[in-house]
Amino acid sequence: MSDAGPDAGGTPSVVSRLIAPFVDRSVAERLVISVAAILLSIAVGFVIVLISGRIAQCSTAAWTMPLTGIGFCYDPIQVYVVLFNGAFGNPIAVGEPGLFNPNWTPFNLSLGLTLSETTLLIFTGLSVAVAFRAGLFNIGTQGQLVVGALATALTVIAAAPLLPEGPVGGAVLIVLGTAAGAVGGGFWGAIPGALKAYADANEVITTIMLNFVAANVAYVLVLEVFRAEGSSVVATQYVPEYAQFLPWFFPQSADFAVVALLVGIAFIGALYYLIEHTSFGYDVRTSGVQAAAAEYGGVNAKLTTVRAMTLSGALGGIGGSVWVLMSEGRWMASIPSLGFDGITVSILAGNNPIGVLPAAFLFGILKGGALEIGFRTDVPTELVGVLRGLIILFVAMPEFFRMIGKYAGIGAGGPGGGVRTDPDETDGAVGTDGGEADA
Amino acid sequence: MNPAVHLDGITKRFPGVVANDDVDLAVERGSVHALLGENGAGKTTLMNVLYGLYEPTEGTVRLDGEPQSFDSPRDAIDAGIGMIHQHFMLVDPMTVWENVVLGNEPTTWGGLRVDKEAAREAVVELSERYGFDVDPDAAIADVSVGEQQRVEILKALYRGADVLIMDEPTAVLTPQEVEELYGVFEELTEQGKTIIFISHKLGEALSAADDITVLRDGVNVGTVAAEDVTREDLAEMMVGREVLMEPATTPQEAGDRVLSVSGLDVDDDRGVRAVSDLSFELRAGEVFGIAGVDGNGQSQLVEAITGLRELADGEIHYLGESLSGTTRRDRIDRGMAFIPEDRQERGLVMSYDLTENAILGSQHDQPFARGGRLDWSASRDHAESVIEQYDVRPPDAAAEAEALSGGNQQKFIVGREFERDPDLVVAMHPTRGVDIGSTEFLHDRLLELRAEGKAVLLVSSKLDEVQGLSDRLAVIHEGEFSGVVDPATVTEEEIGLLMAGETPDDDSVEAASLHEEATDQIAGDPTADGDEVDA
Repeated sequence: MSDAGPDAGGTPSVVSRLIAPFVDRSVAERLVISVAAILLSIAVGFVIVLISGRIAQCSTAAWTMPLTGIGFCYDPIQVYVVLFNGAFGNPIAVGEPGLFNPNWTPFNLSLGLTLSETTLLIFTGLSVAVAFRAGLFNIGTQGQLVVGALATALTVIAAAPLLPEGPVGGAVLIVLGTAAGAVGGGFWGAIPGALKAYADANEVITTIMLNFVAANVAYVLVLEVFRAEGSSVVATQYVPEYAQFLPWFFPQSADFAVVALLVGIAFIGALYYLIEHTSFGYDVRTSGVQAAAAEYGGVNAKLTTVRAMTLSGALGGIGGSVWVLMSEGRWMASIPSLGFDGITVSILAGNNPIGVLPAAFLFGILKGGALEIGFRTDVPTELVGVLRGLIILFVAMPEFFRMIGKYAGIGAGGPGGGVRTDPDETDGAVGTDGGEADA
Repeated sequence: MNPAVHLDGITKRFPGVVANDDVDLAVERGSVHALLGENGAGKTTLMNVLYGLYEPTEGTVRLDGEPQSFDSPRDAIDAGIGMIHQHFMLVDPMTVWENVVLGNEPTTWGGLRVDKEAAREAVVELSERYGFDVDPDAAIADVSVGEQQRVEILKALYRGADVLIMDEPTAVLTPQEVEELYGVFEELTEQGKTIIFISHKLGEALSAADDITVLRDGVNVGTVAAEDVTREDLAEMMVGREVLMEPATTPQEAGDRVLSVSGLDVDDDRGVRAVSDLSFELRAGEVFGIAGVDGNGQSQLVEAITGLRELADGEIHYLGESLSGTTRRDRIDRGMAFIPEDRQERGLVMSYDLTENAILGSQHDQPFARGGRLDWSASRDHAESVIEQYDVRPPDAAAEAEALSGGNQQKFIVGREFERDPDLVVAMHPTRGVDIGSTEFLHDRLLELRAEGKAVLLVSSKLDEVQGLSDRLAVIHEGEFSGVVDPATVTEEEIGLLMAGETPDDDSVEAASLHEEATDQIAGDPTADGDEVDA
């Protein structure tokens, strides 16, 4: 079987070598699987919408099944059309002549909301992905984001009076605030990293615990010390308008800045380069896939753990900075669960920085589309939540689809799987089983 | 008379691989038959067909001329075939007789109660009949490896085996235990049992077997009578070309001291002392061999030297400087190459391709890294050069390590470490799993390094390897050197006794003297120490 490898790449090797880095088989495969997963989840969701639509009470049926004439309260087709169409601000004109909506512009509120969510999830997704690549399960991105966000808000508020107002001062404040977020989040990530490296404490537990510590310490700090005067909620005062990311083309209420998205994409590229093309990245990856080999190769396991967790925390912290400087304008107690969604984003992305972009975008679409469904249909938000969950669930289990593909005869290996080169150990096990079972 | 076992035109195909191609094998009743071949030649697959683990794609299994069709090992056992695996399947805390009857206990009370007396009686009777020297009431954990193997044989006999298949039966034994095993073979064959054993060691096949069948690439190259062939003939049959059996060592003056170990204590993972108070030194241009049965502290010793394990006590000096407080990274940077015993755990990252694996250990060093940036084209060139020089197959730097066979993985690791331009090579089982042809090349390359003035610490369980390559040879037993011998004059028997922890009375063995000598040199020889510390 190993002989097949070199021969297969005979003539098209030049072409394939050029294209390989961009669309290697696994990437193409993952793409096909993701699309198949979304379609299947839609089929299942379709049925669920129909059943709920049958159970629900309503005066007029939103959709009547052809032939049977049975009426349903919710129109499943409409739900999905609004979910995906709405996330982009309805570029496709539904129910009207002409496929495209002539009044559609890309710089609309809905697309802004979608991209805003995408931008934030890029950072938290990268945060989780970096830790994953080092073999560490960082559940603490949420806490690192909370700490980073607070550090950003306080730094910008404290530094603002010292700098001139206007775009230059704003730019300095944004850089300063983001750096503070990175330091804060990085510090919060370094703690479980050090605990893991030097005290053998499982990072899953410590990061979960530190999430609570971060949320509650930050809450009390803001409540007692940094609360804005006259504020009815637990929040700091707003950072100056000029120190926030400017929305540029998009409406103010979308809380989205193109600059932030571009920074996020730049981070994706930088992180990809770091992991694939630097010595540090090699150390991190090797520790992640085969710790004993990394140790053999001279990688300092403890230091690498601390560094990877610090980097992961810093990325989560920057996510917090962007949340303060782009979305909220201040630190407030009700921080959305961007850090936890980052875990799913990272897993969807196969922990590959490049994959974080489409994964975060999918989450963004589902967020933007769900809001749109709420505006335009009678479908309850809980049901929309179910549909979102279904899509993520299906996309997150590529192995399931690979299995289906195998049994359907697609792909090389049969259901039996590959052949092992070294059958000794299993043979022994089977041998004893057979021998002892006949008693 | 029909042969006891007759495999008739057995072909076994796996997707993409033909493991056995039209193999005929006839084994006479009451004979010992060796199945010889390199790794991947298809020996184990063929025996698994006989034992009912695999169904042959084509061909028939005949026992005493009767065609058989086994669906599972159970059918094979019922037909009188027993298999003894390389790694024993015994329950350590249970006694010998309990292990023998396990799964087939004689019962009373309608199957509710094990008839212990009858069971024990049956085992005693069986072991007496074959002249086995085993205590039926001893716990498995307390008996030697050789005895454990006899318990495995008893187990098969208890189940009514007439044909015994043994997979690499000598791999875990000391030379003395091997001799005992040959005695067991004789007892068994005298009583009409038939033995087939799998091996890739020429000497073993020649001394233990009546007939030898050689497999190469899944094909039966030929069946010969052991008394009619020489080692060279067999090696040529296995490899397919002439093989130079003895590496050509030339005498050479040892140079400066490269490594010195004094009073070394090392614990294993469970905190049990694995190496105790060990001292030796190694000079440039010298190969220092360490022989011993696996698990006598070799792993811990090597890990301590290469920086993968903490010392419990003692000191290691490398190129005149103490290694205490230095990391694995420091040692790599200072020219210490290391061929680890476990290639799939340590030596290679299995999911990386060979380009990525080529820089394992050098990922921070020129020319593969500059300013923290990796130069993948430099590492690909390096991988390709190792692949070409060391004949790694498939010759593809983009192939993932796990796609390579064990022998090729090993060749790649050895190549990578040898080409590091090291001052010291710590080689643990450097040719394990490598076929004879490539072993010859790796040995030559190792001697070239020696000629270039590198120091080599060679740890191997292959006696002919350590004996043939080393300038000095230490035998390790339970974490201590039971002797340091001159490999040119020592006999295999003497080494065997040392491996078992006994001291033979012979002038070539300077068992006791070595220890003080080495300590003296390190502690109290100012002339030798002085110039190295300065350097």
